Amino acid sequence: MGNLFPNLITIGIIAISMLIFSTFTLLAFNLTNFLKTWEDKIEVIAYLKRGTPSGEVEPLLKKTRLLEGVEVVRYVSPYDAMTFMEAKLGRQKNLLEGIQPTILPPSFEIQLKKEYRNSTKIGEVVTHLKKNPQFEDIQYGQEWVETFSIGVHILRLTQWILGGLLLIAIVFITSNTLQLTISSRREEIEVMHWVGASPGFVRVPFYVEGLIQGLLGGGLAILFLFILHQGLFLYIPPSMQAWLARIPVVFLPLEKIVWILLGGTVLGFFGSFVASMRVLRYK
Amino acid sequence: MDETMIEMHHVFKTYPSQICALSDVTIEILSGEFTFLVGPSGSGKSTLLRILSCAERPTSGEVVVHGMHITQPGFKNIYQLRRTMGIVSQDFKLLKDRTVNENVAFALEVIGHARKEAKNKASEMLRRVGLEEREEDTILALSAGEQQRVAIARAVVNSPPLLLADEPTGNLDAKMTVEVMRIFADLHQKGMTILFATQYTGLIKYFPYRVLQISKGQVLNGKKVDVSKVDEVKAGE
Repeated sequence: MGNLFPNLITIGIIAISMLIFSTFTLLAFNLTNFLKTWEDKIEVIAYLKRGTPSGEVEPLLKKTRLLEGVEVVRYVSPYDAMTFMEAKLGRQKNLLEGIQPTILPPSFEIQLKKEYRNSTKIGEVVTHLKKNPQFEDIQYGQEWVETFSIGVHILRLTQWILGGLLLIAIVFITSNTLQLTISSRREEIEVMHWVGASPGFVRVPFYVEGLIQGLLGGGLAILFLFILHQGLFLYIPPSMQAWLARIPVVFLPLEKIVWILLGGTVLGFFGSFVASMRVLRYK
Repeated sequence: MDETMIEMHHVFKTYPSQICALSDVTIEILSGEFTFLVGPSGSGKSTLLRILSCAERPTSGEVVVHGMHITQPGFKNIYQLRRTMGIVSQDFKLLKDRTVNENVAFALEVIGHARKEAKNKASEMLRRVGLEEREEDTILALSAGEQQRVAIARAVVNSPPLLLADEPTGNLDAKMTVEVMRIFADLHQKGMTILFATQYTGLIKYFPYRVLQISKGQVLNGKKVDVSKVDEVKAGE
């Protein structure tokens, strides 16, 4: 029972540290998910010259499908384009009255493979497309794609840098608080050293303790994060709820929860290892 | 030929503060010998014992304990060395949240003995030091003399060939000192090598074993001394 207080402090500090890290992971996870939904919308539209003979469309379609990085190509005829515009305009579709579909250019809607949905790779595909004289214009929202790509890159870089710094801080805090546990048992350890307990016999219980504390700390962090996540939706005003509904903030998937628990356990172990190296030298 | 238990050759120990705790100490203690290490407070007794138990390393010199060259570079088997020696100190170092039996059995459990076996051996050892009726008491319920007997029982429960005692009677009154000394004498009778550090020279009047005198870090002699010539440190003892 004498060790209960330092044990609780250690578990509490690991839980707080892991909660910070888990909150960050949850934010990064949801932001990445949000960006992924936009990423899926990145596509290239290649407009064909008006009056391109229909006999040339099919071979060009085949040729485009074979380009590296291209996943799906859909031919959009002027009539399909008109239907799409009508659907988009809804009640105001009468604005299109008198306009012949033939004034709209036929096009290819090109969906790219996931790894090609960034400014550099899209550029490569567009360069290949431009070699075909049948294409009049190629659009892919270059500026938006570049901004998006940089945004995703910065987010991921920040995630790793901050994550790394947090992990170092957690090991430091954990090892220092575990020293409290060890120092609360210094008499017992001193006697162990006196009577010839092997270094492993003295240290292993602290390693196990560190593992358990890390696991409990990680578990508590997940629990608090879950409560915070649930509370977020319970206490936000209805006006904001409607806005947030467009950006679903989901809880961490099982795989990430397991990683956080495993991370807590490893950190607990590593913290106790560092602490034992500092204060459990044979004296 | 008698086997040597402890050898120290030209041992020096200087602390970073430039305090010279031991200066050119050379001693030899044979197996089965009872040796008093007598000297005033601060003379280097504890440092000498701490070096023998590998709690400290000397600045220079060679130390061999029970055949182990403990000052050799790379000597790491401190725990193996400690299993060949019992250590008793003035402040007992008992675990106050455990019973008398648990304190003694603990010394066996941590070196791999099964709990039941350790408990039985602890009971046997506590009988030898006259504490069979206090086995289940907590440490705080014992007198200082009884606590020191528990500490001795713990130190010798795994039958080490060597016992290092650092002022073991320092906190005891005259009656308890005699009780504890009888236990040491009994252990010596059974063949244990004992190095007993004390500043109370009165003890050696009643227990005429070999005496090593230590003063300002130097061991003055290694032979039996004329008790009348040893300075009395504790008046009235």
